[in-house]
Amino acid sequence: MIRLLRKAWAFLERDLRAETSYRLSFLLQIGGMLFSVLAFYFMTKMIDPDTPGLDGIPPFQWMLIGLSFQFYFSTALYSFSQKIRNEQMLGTLEAMLVSPTPTAMVIFSSASWDFVYGGLRVGLYLLFAVLLFGVEIHTSSLPTVALGVLLTLLSSAGLGILSASFILYFKRGDPINLLLSSLTTFFGSVFFPVENLPESVRFISDYLPITWSLRVVRGALLKGESFATLQYDLLQLGILTAILLPAGIFFSRFAIRRAKREGTLVHY
Amino acid sequence: MSYAVEGLGIEKSFVRKRSLGQLLRDPFGRAERVHALRGVDLQVGDGEIFGLLGPNGAGKTTLLKILSCLVLPDKGQARILGVDTADEDRVKPQLGLVTTDERSFYWRLSGRENMRFFSILYDVPSDRRMARIDELLERVGLTEAADQRFSDYSAGMKQRLSIARSLLHDPPVLLMDEPTRSLDPAASLELRAFVKDELKARDRKTIILATHNLPEAEALCDRLAILIKGKIRQEGSVDAVRAFGLETHGYELEVDRWPGDFSGPAQVHKTESIPDGTLVQLSLTDGAELGDLLSALMHAGVAVRRCDRHESDLEEAFTRILDAEEPDDSAKPGGSGRQTGGAV
Repeated sequence: MIRLLRKAWAFLERDLRAETSYRLSFLLQIGGMLFSVLAFYFMTKMIDPDTPGLDGIPPFQWMLIGLSFQFYFSTALYSFSQKIRNEQMLGTLEAMLVSPTPTAMVIFSSASWDFVYGGLRVGLYLLFAVLLFGVEIHTSSLPTVALGVLLTLLSSAGLGILSASFILYFKRGDPINLLLSSLTTFFGSVFFPVENLPESVRFISDYLPITWSLRVVRGALLKGESFATLQYDLLQLGILTAILLPAGIFFSRFAIRRAKREGTLVHY
Repeated sequence: MSYAVEGLGIEKSFVRKRSLGQLLRDPFGRAERVHALRGVDLQVGDGEIFGLLGPNGAGKTTLLKILSCLVLPDKGQARILGVDTADEDRVKPQLGLVTTDERSFYWRLSGRENMRFFSILYDVPSDRRMARIDELLERVGLTEAADQRFSDYSAGMKQRLSIARSLLHDPPVLLMDEPTRSLDPAASLELRAFVKDELKARDRKTIILATHNLPEAEALCDRLAILIKGKIRQEGSVDAVRAFGLETHGYELEVDRWPGDFSGPAQVHKTESIPDGTLVQLSLTDGAELGDLLSALMHAGVAVRRCDRHESDLEEAFTRILDAEEPDDSAKPGGSGRQTGGAV
C-alpha cells in the first residue's frame, strides 16, 4: 500500500514540477478564474432569488458551487482519457508500462495532479467568493461537506475511468465524455435548478452523481444543513459511487487486456 | 537447459485498419488481419547478446513488445528467466527496455528528475534511490548534464539516459530496440562500446538487440536471428549466419596469369587484371579440396602468389537470406521455416 501511495505521489510531484515550469500560464489561469467569478456575480444579479429550486440560496452562491463542481466533474471526465492520450503521444506510456507498476495504477495516477488541481480551483473559487463578496460558509458542516466531496471524487473517478477505458479501446472519439458532460451540465442542476425543466425529463438528473453532490455541498456549505438532513442525498451519491467506481475498474481491466491483445496499448 | 529468454511458437496478428472506401463498400465485412509473427521459436542464453535482424515490418518490434509484456501473443509463449510474460508482476522486474524513441521522457523535467520519477515506478528502494541515480548518470556520462532539462539534451545524451533508465532496477535482461538509430557515427560507436564493455563484460546482462544496422550486429552480437515476414529464417552464431548460402568457401587468388581454358576443380566468379598478374575470385566445386585446386594450377604452370579465403560479410549473407526462397512449412508439419547454423 505504501509502495502504491509513493508511486501516486511520484506522479503528482512530476506533474507539479512540469506545471510550475509554466509559471506565467499558472498565474494567468488564476487571473481567469477571478474574472469568471466576477462575471458570474454580476450575471446572477439578473436572476430572481425566488426562482423555484434555489431553496433560499442566493443565485450567485448557488451558481458558484455549481460552476466549481462542474469543473471538478469535467476534470474527472476528461483527465484520465486526456492524460493517457498525451502519454501515448509523448511516448512515455510505453516507458511506464514496462516498469513493474501495474497498468491500472499508471492510468489512475496519471490524472492525480488534475484532481488535486481541480480541488484547488474549487477552493480558490470559494475563497474569492468569501473575500470579495462576503459569501458566508458554514464551517460547522465541514465533515458532511468532506464526505460529499469524497463521494464526488470517487464517483467522478468512476466515470473518468470508464471514459479512459473507452479511449484505450477505441483510441479516439471519446463519446462518453461528450454525452456525460452534456448531461451533467444540462440535467445536473449546475447552472439552473432541475425544477425548471419539463417534468417528463427531470428524472434524468437522479442518475447523475453531480445532482446529489451539489445538493450535499450547497446544503452543508451554504445553508449549514446537518448530516441527518442530507443523509438521503448522501445515500443516493453513495449508491451511484458504488456502481460507477467498480464499473470503471472492471471496464478498464477489460480495455487494458483487450488493448494488449490487439497490440494497441501504447498507440494513439 | 534453462534460457534467459525463450520464445515458443509465438504467433501474433493485428487487425488492418479499413479505409473509408472499404467501410462504405462493405460496412459489415471482416477486417483483414496482418500476421506479424508466425511461429517464432527463440532461445537466448544467460549473458548473451542476441541480435534480432530483419527488414522493416519483419516483426522485430512486435516480438520485443511481447517479451516486454506490452502485447499478448495470439498463440505460443514467451518466457523471461523461465516465467511466462503473461505473469507480468514477476517478469517486469527482470526486464529493462531501451527504445529508440527520444520522446519517452518528460521534456520539461531534468535528466535527474526524470530518473527520480522512473526510479519510483521501478521500485528502487528510497534509501538507495539517489545513490543509484547518481551512479547510473555517471556510468553513462551524464553527471554534469543531470540537472539540465531533457529538452536540451542531444540525441546521444537522450539515448544514454534511456539506457540509464533501463538499468535503474538492475534487471538481468535488457531489450534494446534499435538503440543507435538516431545517433551519429561517433555516438553510435560510443554506445556500442558501452554495451560491449559495460553491459555485457561487466554486468553480464542478457541483451536482445533489434537492429537494422548489420555492422553493429556483427560487432556486438554473439548470435543472431534473421526475422523475415514474421518467421526466423536463419539463426546461429555470426559466422554461421555469414556463411548462409555459401555451398563451399570462396577464395581469392593472386596469380601470374589465368589460363582461359583452365579445367580444374573450381568455379570462377571473377577475374581482374592487376599489375604483373591476375586476381581471381572462385569457389571450389563439390567435394574438391583446396589442395586439389593448387595442384591443378601447378600442372597448368600457373604461379600462385597469394591465396586467401574470401569471407562473406553479414550484409551479403543478409541479402542471400532475403533472396532465398521461403521454406515450405507444409512439407514438414510444425516446421518453423527456420534454418539453424552453427553451435547454439
